[in-house]
Amino acid sequence: MSHRKTYDPQERLTLDLKSTLSDSRVVGLFRLMHGFRWLYFGALTAVALGALVRTYYYKLLQYVVDDVIGSPEVLSRLPLAAATFVGLAVAEGLFAYLRSTWSARTAEGITLRLRDYLLDHIQRLPFSFHDYVKTGELIQRATSDVDAVRRFYADQALGIGRILSLFVVNFTMLMSMNPRLAWTSIAVMPLIVGTSYFFFGRVSRAYKAFQKQEAKLSTALQENLTGVRVVRAFARQSYEIEKFESENLEKYRRGRRLTSMHALYWPVSDVMCAAQTILAMAVGATMALRSEITTGTYMAAMGMVMWIIWPMRNMGRLIVNVSTGLVSYQRVAEMIREDREDVESGSVPMDTAIRGAVVFEDVTFAYEPQSVLKETKPRSKGRKPKTDREQSEMSAQADTSADALAEPVEVLHGITFRCEPGQLVALLGSTGSGKTSIINLLLRFYDHQSGTITLDGVPLGEYPRAMLRRNIGIVEQEPFLFSRSIGENIAYGSQREVSEEEIEEAAKAAAIHDIILTFPEGYNTIVGEKGVTLSGGQRQRVAIARALLKGPRILILDDATSSVDTETEDQIQRALGRLMVGRTTFLVAHRIQTVMSADLILVLDKGTIVQSGTHEELVQQDGFYRDIFDIQSRIEEEVRHEVEVE
Amino acid sequence: MSYELEEEEFTSKVNRRIVLRMLAQVRPYWHWAVGFLAMIAGTSLSDSYFTYLGKQIIDEAILKGDQARLVQLLTRYGGLAVAQALTVFGFIYMAGVLGERVQYDLRKKLFNHLQELWFSYFDKTPVGWIMSRVTSDSGRISELVTWGMIDIVWAALNITTSVIFMMTINWRLSLIVVSIVPVMIALAFWFRQRILVQYREVRKLNSVITGFYNESISGVRVVKALVRERRNLDDFRQKSSGMYKAAYRAAWLSALFLPIVQIVGALGTGAVVWYGGLQIEVAGLTVGGLQAFLSYLMFMMWPIQDMARVYAEMQRSVASAERVFALIDATPDVVDCEGAFDPGNISGEIEFDHVGFRYEENKDVLIDLSLHVAPGEHIAVVGPTGGGKSTIVNLICRFYEPTDGTIRIDGIDYTSLTQRALQSRIGVVLQTPHLFSGSVMDNIRYGRLDATDEEVETAARMAHAHEFIVELDKGYAEEVGEGGSLLSVGQKQLISIARAMLADPDILILDEATSSVDTLTEAHLQRGMEAVMKGRTSFVIAHRLSTIKSADRILVIESGRIAEMGTHRELIQAHGHYYELYTRQFRRDRERAYGVTQGVPAASGAAPASAG
Repeated sequence: MSHRKTYDPQERLTLDLKSTLSDSRVVGLFRLMHGFRWLYFGALTAVALGALVRTYYYKLLQYVVDDVIGSPEVLSRLPLAAATFVGLAVAEGLFAYLRSTWSARTAEGITLRLRDYLLDHIQRLPFSFHDYVKTGELIQRATSDVDAVRRFYADQALGIGRILSLFVVNFTMLMSMNPRLAWTSIAVMPLIVGTSYFFFGRVSRAYKAFQKQEAKLSTALQENLTGVRVVRAFARQSYEIEKFESENLEKYRRGRRLTSMHALYWPVSDVMCAAQTILAMAVGATMALRSEITTGTYMAAMGMVMWIIWPMRNMGRLIVNVSTGLVSYQRVAEMIREDREDVESGSVPMDTAIRGAVVFEDVTFAYEPQSVLKETKPRSKGRKPKTDREQSEMSAQADTSADALAEPVEVLHGITFRCEPGQLVALLGSTGSGKTSIINLLLRFYDHQSGTITLDGVPLGEYPRAMLRRNIGIVEQEPFLFSRSIGENIAYGSQREVSEEEIEEAAKAAAIHDIILTFPEGYNTIVGEKGVTLSGGQRQRVAIARALLKGPRILILDDATSSVDTETEDQIQRALGRLMVGRTTFLVAHRIQTVMSADLILVLDKGTIVQSGTHEELVQQDGFYRDIFDIQSRIEEEVRHEVEVE
Repeated sequence: MSYELEEEEFTSKVNRRIVLRMLAQVRPYWHWAVGFLAMIAGTSLSDSYFTYLGKQIIDEAILKGDQARLVQLLTRYGGLAVAQALTVFGFIYMAGVLGERVQYDLRKKLFNHLQELWFSYFDKTPVGWIMSRVTSDSGRISELVTWGMIDIVWAALNITTSVIFMMTINWRLSLIVVSIVPVMIALAFWFRQRILVQYREVRKLNSVITGFYNESISGVRVVKALVRERRNLDDFRQKSSGMYKAAYRAAWLSALFLPIVQIVGALGTGAVVWYGGLQIEVAGLTVGGLQAFLSYLMFMMWPIQDMARVYAEMQRSVASAERVFALIDATPDVVDCEGAFDPGNISGEIEFDHVGFRYEENKDVLIDLSLHVAPGEHIAVVGPTGGGKSTIVNLICRFYEPTDGTIRIDGIDYTSLTQRALQSRIGVVLQTPHLFSGSVMDNIRYGRLDATDEEVETAARMAHAHEFIVELDKGYAEEVGEGGSLLSVGQKQLISIARAMLADPDILILDEATSSVDTLTEAHLQRGMEAVMKGRTSFVIAHRLSTIKSADRILVIESGRIAEMGTHRELIQAHGHYYELYTRQFRRDRERAYGVTQGVPAASGAAPASAG
C-alpha cells in the first residue's frame, strides 16, 4: 500500500532550507517544494483533469438527450451511455484520489522536513539568539505557523487551483458550445468574487476580534481560578461574577456580530448566484425555444454554469487564507534565516586528548544583543531577554528593560589567570560579578571580543565547539532534566550507548541510586509533569550522575547547596568530591567555606578579578577576600551575641 | 505548561438523559430554536423545488416551445431565490445567535457555580481541566444544539424530500436509488471511524511534538553543553515521521473514501440513465424528469457522506456535556448551615479546641491542636515546610473546616457563621501573591471596592509600596499584567499587603508575606506593620525569623503539632527547635546582608526578581 512508503530520514534533510529562502514569499514557497514539485504538479494536473471529467458528464447528458433518446438506435446506444457514465465516475474518482494523496504527500512531506529542520536549527542557534527570543514565540513559529504553511499546500493552493480549473474548463466548453451563452453565464461573476473577497476580509477581522475576546475571557477565568484564595479571602465572589459577566457579554456581542455578517453574506451571495443562474437560464432557454441550441445543449450548459458560479463564492475565503499563510511562511523563513552556531569546524582534531590547562589573558567580553525575528504577531510585546537564571548575570548589569539592551554591555574586563591540569579553580563573587560569563566563554557558548583564551596552549577558537563541549562537564545550580526516564536522563550526555550497570554505577557515585529505587518504576520513572517531581537536591544529584557518566576532562560545578538541608548538602558535597578527582574543575562558589581547598581562588567583582591566589595567600592580603573571611567570623560572633543577649 | 491531551475518550453510547439535558439548555429560547428549524426546513424545501422548477422549464417551456410559461417559471424561480435567501439569513442568524447565547448562559452558570465550590474541589482539580470545561466543552454543547440540529434536520429533510420528489417523477427509478443508500451509509461509517482514529493519533503526536520543541528550547543549554544535537534530532525524527505517517494515512483514507462513495453513487446513476432512458421510450418519463432525477440523487449523497461526521461530533459533544454537567453538579462540601448569621464586627478572639485536620484519609496534617488567642494578640508561626503552618491559615480563613474539634471566633463555633461574614473580616496576605490583570490601583482597591484614590494611596504608603509605584511609568495606573507578571514577586507582595490593609480587617494573617521583599524594605515595612497590627489579632508565618521577634507568642509547628510555644526570649533560652532554626537563619541572613553569598545585598533598594 502506497501510504506505507516513507522517505529515508537522512535523505529528507539533505536539503538545507536556507538555500530555499528568497526575498519573495511566493518564490520561497515554491523553492520549499524542492523534491516535491513534480508530485505537486501532478496533484494540480489531477485537479484540472478532475474538473474536465466533470464537464464531460454534461456532454454525456447532452448526447443522451439529443442523440439517444428518441433516436432509433436508442437500445444500442443507451447501455453504452450508462457505461460511459460509470466510466467517467471512476475516472473522476481516480483523479480525486491522486489529487488528495499526492497533495497530502507533498504537504506532509514538506512539513516533516520543516519540522525536523526547525528542531535541529533551534538547538544549533547560538545563545545570542536564544537569549532574546521567548520560548512561546519559537514554539508558535515551529508549530502553528508551520501548520499554516502545511495548509497552504494542502488546502489553499489546491483549492484555488480547483476553482480556477473548474472555471477555465467549463467556460472553454461553454464557449465551444455557444459563445453568447458563455459570456452571459459569467456576467455577474466579477461581482460574486468581489463581494466574496470584501466579505472574507471583513470577516477575518471580526473573527480576530472575536478570538481576542475569547482569549480575554479565558484569562479572566484563569485568573479567577488561580486566585481563588484571594477571591474568597476578600469575599469578592459577586465582584468577580460581575467582571466575568461583562467579558462574557462582550464575547456574546462579538459572536453575534460575526454571525450577523455570515447571515448577511451567504443569502446575498446566494441571490447573486441565483441571478446569474436565472440570467443563463433565460438566455439559454430562449435559445432552446427558438431551436438555436438543442435541449441537450441547454441542459449541459446549465450544469456547467453551476460549476462556474457556486465555487467562486469561496474564492474570497481562500485568498484571505493565503495571505495569512504567507505571513506564517515569512515568520518561519525568518527563523531559518538565522545563522547557526558552527560546532564542527576547528583545526584541532576531534580525538585529541585534553589535559586541562586553561589560560585566560586579558579577556574582555560583552553580550552583543542581536536584533532577531522581526515579524512578530501584533499582540506580542517588545522583546525582552528571558529572565532565566543564566541571564541573571547580564540582566543584573544591563537593566532588564529592552531599551538598555540596544548596545552591548561589557561584563568581563581584562580577565587574566592560568590553571594547570587537574587543579581546582574557585570563582567567588556576587551576582553580576562575571562568574557565569567566564563559564560561558569556556564552553564557547559565546565568543569573547579581545584577549586570548587557550586550552593546553592552543587558542580556544581552534577547538571545534562539539569537541570542547564533549570534554567539559557541567553541573548547574538548578539542572534542567528532560521529561524522559531517570535512566535516560543520566545517560543523556554520553556519546555512546551505555549499559544499565553503568547508569547505576554513576547514580550510586552521585548518591541518588537509593532514592531512585524508591520511585514506582525505578530508573524507568519519568521525570517531570507526567512522572515524579524531583526536589532541587535530587535534580542536582541526577545531573552529577549525568556528568560522571559523560567522563569529561574539565568540570564546571555551580555549587548551590544553600537551598538544601544539611544532610543533603553533605551527600552532594561527597558526590561532587568523587566527581572532581583528577579533573580540572571550575567551581562557581557562593559561600566561602566551599572554596578554601581550591588551588586557585579568583575573586570577581563587577567583571574584573580583584584578587587571586590560594586561601592561605588571600587571607594574608588586605582586600575583598579577607573582608569576606572576616565577615564570616564576625557573623559567628554576632550569632553568639544575638543569642546570648536575649 | 502541560501538553497532556485533553481527554478524548467518550462513552460509546449516546446517553439519552444527557442529550435531553443538553436540549434543555435551549428551553428559554425555544421559539428561536423552532424558528431556525423552520428556516432550515424552508431552505431545504426550496432547494428541492429549484430542481423541480428546472425540470418544468425543460418539459413545460422548452420542449413545448412555450415562451410565456418560461417567463412565468423564471419569475417563480427568482421569487423562490429571494424567499430562500430570507430563510438562509434566518437560520444562520438564529442558530448563530442562539449558539452564542447558550454558550454565554452555560459559561455564566459554570462561573457562578465555581465561585461557590469549596477549596477541596480546586485542590483536587487542575485549573486546566476546569478551563477546558468552561471554554471548549461549553462550546461543543452549544454547537450541538444549534449547528448539530441543523445538520440533522437538513440531512433528514434532504433525503426525504429527494425521495418524495423522485417517487413523484418515477417510482421505479426511485427503487434503484433507495437500494444503494444503505451501502453508502455503511461505507461512510466504515471510513469515518478509521479516519477519526488517525486524526486522534495526529492530535496526540502533535502535542508530543510541541512538548519536544518546548523542551529543546528551554533545555537548549544542556543540549549544547552535552553535544546532544544529533541524537536529539534522531529522537525527534521518530516522532515527526510517526506524525507524518498518521497524517498521511488519514489523508489517504479520505482520498479513498469520497471517490468510492461517489462511484457507488455513479453505479446507481448509471442504472438510472440506462433504465430511465428506456422509460422515456416506453413510459411517461420526460427529459426534464431524468435530469431532475439525477440532481436529486446528488442532493441525497451529500448528507449521507456527512452523516458519519455528524454522528462522531455528536458523540464528542455528548462527552463534553457529560463533563460540563459533572462540574455543574459538583456540590460545595461546605454550605452555610441553617440559621448561619453574620455577627458584624468581631473582637478577634480565636480558639482552637482539639483541632485535627487531614486533606486525605489517614494523612493527618494537624493533630489535636489547642490554642487560645486573645483579641489583639500577635501570634507568629514557624516550623519546617510541610509541618502544617499553612493549614492553620487555611482553617482560620475557613478555606477548609477542621475534620476534628472546633474553632471558635469570639466564643462562637465558626461553622454557625456565614462564610462571607468571616472572610470579609479577615485580611490575608498569601505566600504566593496573586494579582489580577488591571492597574495597580485596581489591585489594591480589591481589598475595599469603595475606597477612594487617597485611601488606596495611604494603604500603599503603609505597605511601603508607594515608593516603587510612583517610580512606575504610569504610577498607580500602571498595568500589572496577567497574574501580575510585569512586577517582581517582591513588588507583588507589597501590593497584596496594601490590599489587605485597605480591607481594614479584624484579623490579619500574613503567610510568608514578605519572603521576596528585600531586607531593607522589609525592615521599614516591619515598623509600619506593627502600627497596623495594633489592636488586631494577627497571625504571621514568617520566612525571616528576625521579623517575628516582637510577637506576643511564637508557635513552632512540626509534624502537625505545636512543638514549642513562647516568646522569642523564652524560646531562645530553651535551646530547642526554635533556637536552632533561629541561629541557622540568622547566620544566613547575615551572610546575605554582607554579600558573602550570592543574593541581593541589603544596600540595593530594588526587590529581587525572584527568590533564591
